Amino acid sequence: MIGGVMLQFDFFAWLAGIPDWILGVLKWIYGIFSYVFHWIFNVFTWIWTTIFIPKNFMFLFRAVIFPGLIFVVMALIWAVWFTRKLWGRIQDRRGPLHMGKYGGLQLFADAIKLIGKETIIPDKAKRWMFRFLPGLLLVIVLLPFAFIPWDTVSAVDGGWAISDLNVSLVLAFAFLTAVPVIALLAGWVSGSKYTLIGGFRAANNQFAAEIPMIISTIGCAFLARSLSIFDISMAQSSLWFAILLPINLATFLVAAIASVGVFPFDAPVADSEIIFGWRTEYTGIYFTLTYFAEFAEQMLYSALIVALFLGGPNGLPFLPGPVNFIIKFLITFFFFVLVSSSFQRLRQDQIVYFCWKYLLPLAVLNVIVIMFAVVYLPGLMLPLLGVG
Amino acid sequence: MSPDILDGSMDIWFGPQHVSAHGWATKLTLVGDYIVECDPNAGYFHRSAEKVLEFKNFRQGPLVLERMCMLEAFLAEYPYVAAVEKIAELEIPERAKVMRTIMMEMSRIHSIQFWWGQFNAELGFFTMALWPWVDREYSLDVFEELTGSRHTVSFSTPGGVKYDFTEKVMTQLNRAIDRFEDRLVKFKDMQLGSPTFRARTENIGLYDVKQGLKWGLSGPPIKACGVPMDLRKDDPDPNLAYDMVDFDVPITENPEHPGQSDAFDRMEQRFAEAETAVSIIKQLIPQIPEGDIVDPKARGKANRLPEGEAYARVEGTRGITSVWLKTEEKGQTAYRAKIRGPCIASYYALKDLVPGSKFADFIVIFGSLDPYPGWWDR
Amino acid sequence: MADTSTMKASTFGRSVINKLPEVTSNLLSDSRIELVVPASKIRDVVQLVDEELSDALPESVFGVDLQNDQYNLIYIFWSWSNRLLVQLRVSLEGENPEIDSTCDIFPGLEWHERETREMFGIEFRNHPDPRLLLLPDELEGAYPLRKRFQSDLSRLDETGINPPKPRPKEGGEQK
Repeated sequence: MIGGVMLQFDFFAWLAGIPDWILGVLKWIYGIFSYVFHWIFNVFTWIWTTIFIPKNFMFLFRAVIFPGLIFVVMALIWAVWFTRKLWGRIQDRRGPLHMGKYGGLQLFADAIKLIGKETIIPDKAKRWMFRFLPGLLLVIVLLPFAFIPWDTVSAVDGGWAISDLNVSLVLAFAFLTAVPVIALLAGWVSGSKYTLIGGFRAANNQFAAEIPMIISTIGCAFLARSLSIFDISMAQSSLWFAILLPINLATFLVAAIASVGVFPFDAPVADSEIIFGWRTEYTGIYFTLTYFAEFAEQMLYSALIVALFLGGPNGLPFLPGPVNFIIKFLITFFFFVLVSSSFQRLRQDQIVYFCWKYLLPLAVLNVIVIMFAVVYLPGLMLPLLGVG
Repeated sequence: MSPDILDGSMDIWFGPQHVSAHGWATKLTLVGDYIVECDPNAGYFHRSAEKVLEFKNFRQGPLVLERMCMLEAFLAEYPYVAAVEKIAELEIPERAKVMRTIMMEMSRIHSIQFWWGQFNAELGFFTMALWPWVDREYSLDVFEELTGSRHTVSFSTPGGVKYDFTEKVMTQLNRAIDRFEDRLVKFKDMQLGSPTFRARTENIGLYDVKQGLKWGLSGPPIKACGVPMDLRKDDPDPNLAYDMVDFDVPITENPEHPGQSDAFDRMEQRFAEAETAVSIIKQLIPQIPEGDIVDPKARGKANRLPEGEAYARVEGTRGITSVWLKTEEKGQTAYRAKIRGPCIASYYALKDLVPGSKFADFIVIFGSLDPYPGWWDR
Repeated sequence: MADTSTMKASTFGRSVINKLPEVTSNLLSDSRIELVVPASKIRDVVQLVDEELSDALPESVFGVDLQNDQYNLIYIFWSWSNRLLVQLRVSLEGENPEIDSTCDIFPGLEWHERETREMFGIEFRNHPDPRLLLLPDELEGAYPLRKRFQSDLSRLDETGINPPKPRPKEGGEQK
């Protein structure tokens, strides 16, 4: 066998090599799995460690729990209860009474009942849009809550205010403008004449109320020299804008009520005329969503009033910012409900007439007066605003 | 309207499942926000009461009548009773006359309280809708204490009344009247002075007396034009005690459109009606004589009536309410009983009154005329 | 509007009879008068009521079934300023008797005529809207308020309630 080549296949050597080969394959597979496992493990470790860095954890906490989603939804549930209770008291009855203490759990009972109800979709409705729009509406109404300045310190510096965007005022109104568009779409895709009329009325309401409402906020933006809601509320640390812009506060409140479409301006959902306006065909969970969206919108406008006119989180110095904000928010919301429960419904053309004939000039007037005051009485105005 | 304008029109069925349409349906043709055609439809509430009355004896008859309009049950059942009494020539005890009158005026107050709340709900003001309904509870308490039933009272019977006034009834009656009188003064200013209410109702659903009479309107829709057309004065029923009291026919005259009435005037007219009713009751309560409440022989006399025809009317809350009764010799039941409800005219009037107004004003016009479906469908 | 000169019932009756001698009058009481009018003259009489009583309120029109194809048609008008109640009585005969519609003179009578048509089968010529008013479509031509109308108990089994006892002979008409 010297100098030769072993041409013959050594079967036993091959046989002896099989275990090694199998071992190699197993190692290869193990390698793959272990890599993937380690990768996933590392990702989890990274998330874990990142969250539990105190700063990061607090950010998530803010976004999800306290001034964020869960707090807003709980406040929403409270607002529905409060509205019903207050309406009851004003109307010489008791409001919800049986579920929980003072009827506090009534909304949960209602929600469970409504969710358990059959969802009826009309034959003529566009099914996909019909199902999609109520959820979209609620999301769009809840999003601007991110810009509400709950605290004097922004989240970046460890406070409770979630987001500090330098155009947040514009962005909030951009979101709110989408609401009647969804109402109009919902009225259209429901395939009913009443919903269509209601949808157009909702669009018309916004069309009437939005211009006075936005012009009412111009004064605040001028005085604070910023379009950020956070900056505007911070600029009121020495003097609330409600004192400088009282008419704008009133016009904003009225225009906000008109924009939401609650009682004096509830032509879009006038039950004695067009059943329930654009919401007529919604049942069960979809109705619940639209119902919540209306209350969320009322809450949002109340929060905006506090932030823009009533000093936001500024207030009693010994209280934390969110507590100050929430106290003022409760008072504003109370007025919101009070106003909406003590007036007769206006006709659609009267709403437009009222908003454009009275609200718009008044809103402009207050802005002009303040502008002249700043220009011609700088010695009086600038110290008030805390400027140089 | 020319046909080319009607091309862009939309038909809307207002009812029968509409939340404000309780037992009626009206087909509206809209062009834009304006109504160009209105077609009121009846029959959703039809219970063939006139046929039923042909199978009920004369003491059961009022029970059918009061179900025509349960809001004014005391008034609704009375014309049938009066027609039976005319044919049977029954004598009514003085005490029963006064009691009937008091309860009929109380029924008018109750009906106005209900309408007041409902009209405000239709206008979109739920707070003002519930306030009168609180007072209404007190009126219902009186009915319940007196007859055991809140709506289907069956109080009048041929020859008198069924239930006597007790001490407790009088207490509750006085309480209801005093409370309502007190609240009426406050709420009247609150309601009529409200600029939003004025904006919704002034010059809405305007018609003049001549037109209203041609449609067959009576009661508050006509009195709101300033015409004192009231059966309590014009054609007093001998079995009621309106001659014992001193009252003026309540009318509403609006200097802006004399001889015409709009929704606002009709609201004001209802307040005047309620005030008059309160004053009539307050005058009658001290005058209630002692005695029987029902003629003891009436039961036998009302079992079988002689042949005859009678037409009995009463000034209801909504207008002239009447029953035309024909009996056969020794008949146990009516041969023919025709119920004439006031609201058949006010519902019919929408056909000519509504076109030209805005869609949102339809329910205001409807509510201000206060039609009740039981009165036209029977 | 408020006409102080009250017109007594007999005066009104005489003035109608002077113009239309076919009409006979029948004084019911001081303020109530019944005019028996031939069917062909109903439009003239209602026209006269409209002219003589400026504030005539058309209360109602209704039929009375006297059996054997005999019908009475009764019109009731009320004039508040004259304190005068006018009742017109028209006798009609036939399976489906016909009479002129008067709802162009008094629009308020339109629905009463519609109701009389569906309940008694009395046709009103030139009626603008002769649909059914109260009845459902399947009762077209059934004329429920006629005495010979029998209520349809054929589907009573489906409801599961016991059939009613036969009515007493004296009460109502049961043939």
